[in-house]
Amino acid sequence: MPKPLQLLIVDDEIEFLEALSRRLSFRGFAVRTATSCEAALAALADAPSQVVILDVMLPDLDGLGCLRRIKERWPQVAVIMLSGHASITAGMEGIACGASDYCLKPVELVELVEKIHIAYAEALARPF
Amino acid sequence: MSLFERLKEVLGLVERQPLRDSEELRAAFRRQYRNFRSLLTANNNALELMAEIEQALEGGRPFSMAFVRSHCTALGANVLKIINLLQELGERRYQDLLPPFQQIAGELENILTREPAVAGHDFILPLSEIDRHTADQAGEKMANLGEIRNRIGLPTPDGFVITAAATRHFFEVNNIQVEINRRLTVLDQERLDDVYAVSAAIEQLIADAPLPPDLEEEILAHYAKLGEGREEKFLVAMRSSALGEDSSRSSFAGMYRTRLKVDAASLLAAYKEIVAGKYRARAMIYRLQRGFRHEDVIMCVGCLTMVDGEVSGVMYSRPPDDLRGVSVEISAAAGLADQVVSGQAVTRRYRVERAHPHREIESEPAADSAPAAPAGRLLAGERLAELAAIAVRLEEHFGAPQDIEWSLGRDGRIYLLQSRPLGGAGLSGTVAAPARAIAAVGRGEFGGEALRKDGASPPASGEPEEGLLLRGGIRVSAGAAAGEVYPVRNEKDLLGFPRGAVLLVTHPMPEWAVVLPRAAAVLSETGESAAHLATVAREFGIPAIFGLAGAGDRLAPGTEVTVDATGLRVYAGRRADLLAQAPPPPKLMIGSPVHRVLAEAAALITPLTLLDPTSPFFQPGNCHTLHDITRYCHEKAVAEMFAFGARQGFAAGAAKQLLGKSPFTWWVIDLEDGFAPEHDPNQPFIHLDHIVSQPMLAIWRGMTAFPWQGPPPVNLRGFGAILFRSTMNPDLEPAIRSNYNARSYFLISRNFCNMSIRLGYHFALVESHISELLTENYVSFQFKGGAADDRRRLLRIDLIGEVLERYDFRVVRKEDTLTARLEKMEAPFLLERLKVVGYLLIHTRQIDMVMGDKAMVQRYRQKIISDLESLLQPGRS
Repeated sequence: MPKPLQLLIVDDEIEFLEALSRRLSFRGFAVRTATSCEAALAALADAPSQVVILDVMLPDLDGLGCLRRIKERWPQVAVIMLSGHASITAGMEGIACGASDYCLKPVELVELVEKIHIAYAEALARPF
Repeated sequence: MSLFERLKEVLGLVERQPLRDSEELRAAFRRQYRNFRSLLTANNNALELMAEIEQALEGGRPFSMAFVRSHCTALGANVLKIINLLQELGERRYQDLLPPFQQIAGELENILTREPAVAGHDFILPLSEIDRHTADQAGEKMANLGEIRNRIGLPTPDGFVITAAATRHFFEVNNIQVEINRRLTVLDQERLDDVYAVSAAIEQLIADAPLPPDLEEEILAHYAKLGEGREEKFLVAMRSSALGEDSSRSSFAGMYRTRLKVDAASLLAAYKEIVAGKYRARAMIYRLQRGFRHEDVIMCVGCLTMVDGEVSGVMYSRPPDDLRGVSVEISAAAGLADQVVSGQAVTRRYRVERAHPHREIESEPAADSAPAAPAGRLLAGERLAELAAIAVRLEEHFGAPQDIEWSLGRDGRIYLLQSRPLGGAGLSGTVAAPARAIAAVGRGEFGGEALRKDGASPPASGEPEEGLLLRGGIRVSAGAAAGEVYPVRNEKDLLGFPRGAVLLVTHPMPEWAVVLPRAAAVLSETGESAAHLATVAREFGIPAIFGLAGAGDRLAPGTEVTVDATGLRVYAGRRADLLAQAPPPPKLMIGSPVHRVLAEAAALITPLTLLDPTSPFFQPGNCHTLHDITRYCHEKAVAEMFAFGARQGFAAGAAKQLLGKSPFTWWVIDLEDGFAPEHDPNQPFIHLDHIVSQPMLAIWRGMTAFPWQGPPPVNLRGFGAILFRSTMNPDLEPAIRSNYNARSYFLISRNFCNMSIRLGYHFALVESHISELLTENYVSFQFKGGAADDRRRLLRIDLIGEVLERYDFRVVRKEDTLTARLEKMEAPFLLERLKVVGYLLIHTRQIDMVMGDKAMVQRYRQKIISDLESLLQPGRS
């Protein structure tokens, strides 16, 4: 068995967070969760994750700000932005800040699982 | 530099730079290839999003603003990613792409963020001060009522409107819109339980928010003023009046709330309830079906004195299923008007002539002859004439047939409560009922009549009617449909309603409307065409029979029936003959606000204007749409992959000639792992046995499975057409020049193949990625040109498109260019499709010469189909 991919899901909506975490664990990922940007940064400092799924709206810092801070310290981590709010500018900023992908809630699980694998493979291939 | 010039470099026609360290170069090439892969994945995502937008624009299926926004946002992100990756591939030589991209993205953002302007600042407007022109402050319903009172001069209750500015103020002070939007964006509108849950949460949010003190004060002051000099316990009716609903297209019948007999103590709570009614489950589902944006709809509230109605009802200025009819249809019941539209009152129906002196044509105790039916006359002939005259006058004033709510007060005056355009058949494009059905409406058709299955009680007409279960009732919406009978008695039943079932209810209550979008037909034991549920059924083009007594007993849940609403009959099983006559469902989205926004956005997204990569206009500055940008980037990315090997002088990027049985010369470039490890990297050749690229091998199999039989026999005219084209375009000289075949190559890896081919006169590009990840899987095929004159070339493209569609491809034709795509399917399925493409590439060569000959075309078509059937493995096609 290959080592499971380490995921960190960051979202302040507890219900959504728990549901997604449960379903992704079921799909064989090692999942941790955080409900704020600070908690996410602490979690990444504590142990590595290969892919972060990040909500755009967070209580302490907006998702784009959080994306920047994650990318500053851990440039090799693949970040998939996930959002209930959609604006073209936010989507483009996310990509410009180094996000691998920008998905909208509700996202289909099968699609998200594949996007996680693709984001991880792309991040692996990139030099930093 | 064009792709082919690049190829010349690769093929060694351009001097190579000195070799760098081999491992370093190999790593660089691998990185380059990874970027190329990521670019292709993003390109696929973008193309798929565009295809979904085009499909939505057809208008047959509902979509929301969330759909429009999410698609535009995901497109923006993917296209930017493509541009960034191309920049990396091309070492920053594509800066010119950014300005057109930013321009397009900015325009899209403007289209998506436009908000409706709220006119005026007054929180409250007295009814005496409003008319049609204040609809942008008072909402359409109250504006029309003001028009009736102040411009037409007919009696309405007194009152005032709490305006859109007030609602906005209420929401702004409490900052609730952001939270509402957040909940709406994550809502899965397909799931009814989800819709109910989100709806309840939003309504609670609004109910819990305190009214701003200034607004509260004003509402109470106006209420007090309205009640001046009236009895101690002064009661009002609070009615919804939404702004932003174009009611000439959509009725919104029964979607919102009304509160009757409201006193001072419950006034403010009632106001909030009605404002919150915008987010009722049924209203949200209705808006989705009709393409309304939640944010465009602002709820205003009318506060009107209660009319002490002796008799109340609804009237249509023309019959709802025949907008050219010459009668006014009146439904009346004792008491207040709301019972009639809620589908629960026992009503009487009258049909009155539109022309003076408005003679009564007929009257019926509607729906059934229940014992509770009112005895004697509800309305005298003079009253009916008075009502009909009002209906005709309102229709003339508003310029369209009207659906009118009225109440006859104990003071003897007729008050108008509401008038709106009559929705339904005439509006949503449903075909009018056939003549035989109109003839069937007569006395005796109003009551339901159950038949025994043994046919012991045949229909009066004497026609043999096999399988007839029920006949009679009232046709409230014409048409025919089949489905399983599904009775609904409560909300729990609603949640389990299966798509395509026949909704069976006792009373046609407005709350059942939430399942109308998924119902095949509606049967109700009581009720008639004035019920709100009937209005919505007509609008959605769903066949419905109301007043069908005995339906609950006769129709067993779960059995399949055919509802012939036009002929007022229900049959056992599916009756294909009746279903074939039914009109197609109306395209409810066309022309709606959400559809208009998507169409406007799509104009900046989906059209492809950069068609020809060899044209001098194939430039970043000429990218007018996101599709142009992706097309440009894809072309350049492939070219960059070619150029890389040449620039770096690295063997991994060099082309090798393919050794295999083929009449043509092929070049193969390995991008990563497309060659078997045992191949000899120092050879300028690669043997077919050493190729491990799955997609390439599938194409090759399709190309070589059947021997090519050479050009078809050409008659003189066909040959003349070729000569003509050759003269016009020296590039098409039939004599094969040495570098001509060099234009046929494969770029491969184990999972990927990009193949470009110029055989004879036509150019084709096949690209495919096939792996375990469905998201990355696709086959795309582009085909352009050919010899012979335009008509024949187009006929051949039609034939190729026809075959590709037969094998599940999505095909788009523009001029002499054909594009076909398939994505997100399993590997075996796509590999079979690649064989089809490979076969077509070889075997449709030059058949444009014979496309003028119908018999020959038919022969070719049959041969192609039979070859392909034998080529594909059984069970996989």
